[in-house]
Amino acid sequence: MAEKKYVMGNLAITRAAVESGVKVVAGYPGTPATEIVEGFIDYPDIHAEWACNEKVALEVALGASLANVRALAVMKHNGTNISTDILMHLNFTGISGGLVMISADDPGGLSSQNEEDSRILVHTYANLPVFDPANALEAKAMVKDAYVLSEQTQMCFVLRPVMRVCHSRGVIPFDDFDPAAFPTAKWHDDRERYIMSAVEVRELGGIKRPQARHRWLNQKYKELQALFEDSPYNHIEPGEGDVGLIGCGIGYTYIKEVESAFGRKFPLLKLGTLPLPRGKVLDFLKGKKRVVVFEEIEPVVENLIKQLCQEEKIQAEILGRSGFYPSDGELTASLVLAAIRKAAPEVEVSREYQPRQVDIEVPVRTRTQCVGCAHRALLYNLKRVARRYKGVVFGDIGCHDAGSFKPLELQSTIYCMGSSVPMATGAHYAGEKRPVFSMIGDSTLFHLGLMGLINAAYQHGKQVVILGDNSTTAMTGFQPHAGSGVDIYGQVAAKVDLEKLGQAIGVSVHRVDPYDIKATHAALREAVEEPGVSLVIASKPCFLRGSRQGVKFFEPKAVAVDQEKCNGCMICINDFGCPALVYDSKTEKVHIDDLTCVKCGLCSIVCKRGAIS
Amino acid sequence: MKKDVAIAGVGGQGSIFASNVLCQFAMQKGLNVLGTETIGAAQRGGSVISHMRISDKPIYSPLIPPGSGDVLLGMESIELLRHMRLLGPDGYYILNLYSVPTVYSNLGLDSYPSDEEVQAAARRACPRGYVIKATYKAAELGSPQMTNVIMLGALVKVDDFFDYAEIKQLVKEISPKKFRDNNLAAFEAGHELL
Repeated sequence: MAEKKYVMGNLAITRAAVESGVKVVAGYPGTPATEIVEGFIDYPDIHAEWACNEKVALEVALGASLANVRALAVMKHNGTNISTDILMHLNFTGISGGLVMISADDPGGLSSQNEEDSRILVHTYANLPVFDPANALEAKAMVKDAYVLSEQTQMCFVLRPVMRVCHSRGVIPFDDFDPAAFPTAKWHDDRERYIMSAVEVRELGGIKRPQARHRWLNQKYKELQALFEDSPYNHIEPGEGDVGLIGCGIGYTYIKEVESAFGRKFPLLKLGTLPLPRGKVLDFLKGKKRVVVFEEIEPVVENLIKQLCQEEKIQAEILGRSGFYPSDGELTASLVLAAIRKAAPEVEVSREYQPRQVDIEVPVRTRTQCVGCAHRALLYNLKRVARRYKGVVFGDIGCHDAGSFKPLELQSTIYCMGSSVPMATGAHYAGEKRPVFSMIGDSTLFHLGLMGLINAAYQHGKQVVILGDNSTTAMTGFQPHAGSGVDIYGQVAAKVDLEKLGQAIGVSVHRVDPYDIKATHAALREAVEEPGVSLVIASKPCFLRGSRQGVKFFEPKAVAVDQEKCNGCMICINDFGCPALVYDSKTEKVHIDDLTCVKCGLCSIVCKRGAIS
Repeated sequence: MKKDVAIAGVGGQGSIFASNVLCQFAMQKGLNVLGTETIGAAQRGGSVISHMRISDKPIYSPLIPPGSGDVLLGMESIELLRHMRLLGPDGYYILNLYSVPTVYSNLGLDSYPSDEEVQAAARRACPRGYVIKATYKAAELGSPQMTNVIMLGALVKVDDFFDYAEIKQLVKEISPKKFRDNNLAAFEAGHELL
């Protein structure tokens, strides 16, 4: 009996893999995909893991697949970039046990460093089949189908849910399943496929194996096109007139949201697969003068349909992401309504979205560390030392990256995972006279940061690397990593000794407690003065996580700002920037907001006038 | 019928708990429910918004289109104003008059509006609204974390769709054991604030 549960879209994806008998799951945390992997903690018979990075995750999943079991790799779009190398090989070899990869996209970059359509990498580039779900229920069905089709076609299938699917909450059936019904591990050597090397293939006239496998992949692509003609994820809804609408993935839901506003039902093609069902698309295009494609984030389907029109000499005007409506940002109901109006101005519209207007300026919120966070004390020291030595600080991804915004404005760069240390190396060798610093977190170090650190040491670089070690992946919600000492289930696991790691690499290692502001300051100054690469490891568990678990971080120290002593110099806010420190523009002085303050007392050391105590 | 409810606040105010309660309620009624929330970084203090759509007809998009929301719960003063655009012609809001200053307002780069300015701006934007001091009440009852439950208590007072007894029962069921009694007291307190 199926039980219905009100769950997040991500858990619908987890459940689909569970019902498909998945045995191995690997991923790296990243919004909006994180909860998919965490969902497996409730299923102890499945091996789930937080891998060091997404390439490792996909390789773990591939290894399991080749050992004949069903496997899942989970990541967000940035992680898919990292996994590209293995992706560009497993597409050629094909798989054994069903292999599904989740590549979650974040249209609008609501919780990312960039905005990117991962369909381009996995489909346009790697030629793998992609399912683009319109909602969580469909995502669940797609994952279950993907396992069956993956084994049927020997191809890795990709699900590309967008944030609004991952983070939607709806009612999902949890179906029964028989764990014994799925394949168990059985390695079968298939060197013709699994050994990717430039050897000659005699049966194919002596072409090299990469070319032979490329030929296989191209053949598979045609098979998939035929397979998707009957896919339940592509359908046509009839309508009137010569203006047609195409909704891909979540784009379909916005069309459905607004279509009742129009005086005419437009013909609608719902698409959820790549490759496209060629025949179905051609059917739909018949008699259409103009077709608007709604998709997240790039004009992938739009361009494929333009190509199809060119090949089949179809005259229809194909419009969409390439400029008919905005080419950046997330789709919305209002955007889709406006685009349909523009495509069919003759059709009456009964609805207009009229947002209520607020006539005063609403202040924006930027990111900052939590009250009590050890990163704040560390960044405070780093800012002082960097200022003293006129240093440049290269930043990386993590909670500490909020130090790059006002009030601190400390880090000069934030790119992708692990970029800080090598960029600092480059700036040093460019001849930059100012000392270079790089700030990186522990989870990021194990993700892709380590190679940059090894490289810096190996290249005789000179920089101070500051490792904000909070023993978790905090920003995505406290996932453990190779330095945490526990695995995803909370079981004790091998733990990288950071000091020994630094010593093994050959850098000068300093270990500090970032709450100890004076000692940290001294260590940073010492590091700047010494030659070569220095690694300052600032270790303190994540305060938010720890305080939720009841860990005591400090003796609570009620602090207040002496309004007589405070002269409104703003050093506490500009250099420390705790959200509990509030500047009152009327009194031109700072006070502490008692409801926000966690009584860590760290700010008392910051005021040179001794006004905070 | 349809009921589009948005809960606006800052990270850590418990809007996900509140939206869970309301969705479970609608599910029990046999209605369709679809929602979404912004979950950015785990850090406290960012702007968060939960959308919840309840209807007896199919719901396609989890996002409430601007200008069509029925209820807006503002867990924080300027977060109410930020998301006021969601409310439709018959919509109303409940504001928890409570300010979480922004980084820029702390720096004096932005000016955080006064309680009076917030209330006046809200009134100009939407004629129907209620204002309570839920966080202060929650702090009085022992923890500002109970703001969300106080808001639920206030909601059932002004909106007949949300049944007092059923919502209270769900607050009881969904609350972790150690917070159960306090949450029930907070729910009652919220009910009495309006």
